[in-house]
Amino acid sequence: MTQYLVTVLTEGAIFGIMALGLNVIWGWSGDFDLAYYGYVALGAYMTLALTIGRHPAPERYILGLQLPYLVAIVLAVASAMLLALVIGLIALRHLRGIYFSIVTLGGVYVLYAMVGQFVPLFNGYQGLAGLINPMGDALGIDFNSYQYFFLGFAIGVLLLVYLFLSRVSSSRFGLALRSLREDERAAAAFGRDIYRLKLKAYLLGAGIGGLAGALFAAYLTAFNTSAWTPLETVVLYAAILVGGRGNIRGVVLGVLIVFVLIEESTRFLPDIPGHPNVVLQLRPIVIGAALILFLRFRPQGLLPERRYVDPIQPKTAQGPAT
Amino acid sequence: MTETPPALDVRGLTKLFGGLRAVDDCSFTAPKGKVTGLIGPNGAGKSTAIDLISGFKLPDAGTVLFEGKALEGLPPHRISRLGLIRTFQTPREWPGLTVLENVVLARWDEARETFWRSVLGLKQAQREATVVELAGAREILEEFGLSALRNERAGNLSGGQKRLVEFARIRMAQPQLVILDEPMGGVNPVLGERMALAIQGFITAGTSVIVVEHNLPFIERVTDHVVVMSQGSVIATGPFESLRSNQAVIDAYLGEMPTYEQPSA
Repeated sequence: MTQYLVTVLTEGAIFGIMALGLNVIWGWSGDFDLAYYGYVALGAYMTLALTIGRHPAPERYILGLQLPYLVAIVLAVASAMLLALVIGLIALRHLRGIYFSIVTLGGVYVLYAMVGQFVPLFNGYQGLAGLINPMGDALGIDFNSYQYFFLGFAIGVLLLVYLFLSRVSSSRFGLALRSLREDERAAAAFGRDIYRLKLKAYLLGAGIGGLAGALFAAYLTAFNTSAWTPLETVVLYAAILVGGRGNIRGVVLGVLIVFVLIEESTRFLPDIPGHPNVVLQLRPIVIGAALILFLRFRPQGLLPERRYVDPIQPKTAQGPAT
Repeated sequence: MTETPPALDVRGLTKLFGGLRAVDDCSFTAPKGKVTGLIGPNGAGKSTAIDLISGFKLPDAGTVLFEGKALEGLPPHRISRLGLIRTFQTPREWPGLTVLENVVLARWDEARETFWRSVLGLKQAQREATVVELAGAREILEEFGLSALRNERAGNLSGGQKRLVEFARIRMAQPQLVILDEPMGGVNPVLGERMALAIQGFITAGTSVIVVEHNLPFIERVTDHVVVMSQGSVIATGPFESLRSNQAVIDAYLGEMPTYEQPSA
């Protein structure tokens, strides 16, 4: 049971980081990005390519270095941001709404196909493997207690990301981002460089996605195309929507509900004899149903975005103007 | 009359949409420290002209000089940062942000808004600047009678209240020139009087005004000088009084003139 709980919580922390990154792009800046899981995947691939060293043929992949895990994390984040810069420069210049989404979806499918088909990049569909207990040896952590250490590490990173983003949220930069989401033309009329601001938010979000990918790679010890599909992003959207778009507390709550509660509770359903896949298929159905119910009855999510409430009472307590 | 350079000098501005000359060799000036009216029938090219001046559309020909600086080709945010701010025909508040946030955010401040400075910058300096800014915004809200609504999401306000928020944002931004695009749309007479006073307030605060409006009594009430557009070009300029007898203006737009009545408050 403890074993199980550790697994669930570690996964939950990693998905929490993922969702927080996507919330920067969609929750604040307002762009419905469908390329997001590509940044997570690239972060994971790069982490592996930078840490596992060279494996003998027929495995083929770039880099094949044996860098310390923490260094690999930094480089994984940087590569995710670099990819986001390329996609963002193209997609954010003039495209908005559904047109932006389609271009980002196209971008991530190109990446997906390339990773699978172009073997010298990340070993094709076989993917990369062999990142076993990073930092464990250096810190002298034995094999049995490593999972607790990594749980602590993942929660620590989640906490750092959370604190950093709460600072962004309350900053002037964060407020300017939300003005883009609310009305872009007005934001431009009052001096905001929409393209640059959106690009900054996009890079920030993608960097956090790459960070989550770096943790995910260590958690899974391996990564290949069957570990992700571009549509994984949609489940992250479900989590943000259920929790509360724009509210980082809500986003973490949404991840707990969608990834942990729904995903894991269906695990305890009894198997239906002769239909081994029914319970497995039930998860997307339950998540989809939750999504529909929330969109209909509580579109702002469980914890709506908080507004700044000015504590200082005005001099005159007159009624509203006409 | 003293010889001050105009706040805005538009020369030969032209914009084609396919075969349609939406703005056709349009030239006019807006004097500094004055209220200039821009009137004309629907489809005269007023809104397109504003879009061209403020950078939301690119002109096919012509120049726009703002305080002597050429604006054409600059993107909207650059023009705004130079001190020329425009409003839109429908109020464009940031609906999910509060009224106070709407006003505070009207002032663009690079020193505070870049990512590194605003997120990792010195907390103390940021906090002090915020205090000053909030105090300024509260004063402006007080002036516009919006204090009680300051924590309300702007999207929940009535149409008239949204117009007032827009005016409050202009006050906060303190541009050298503001272009108001049909500020009286859907506004009742009492509020209209308040907006007329607010426009005088802009002038006092050093903001020259161009106002596009179909409400002619309001134009007569607030403007010093009127530019009449028809079919993309300027057909007449001068004080509103002088245009009453201008046959071209009467044919194109005025027809029979209504007279201005003071609203009974």
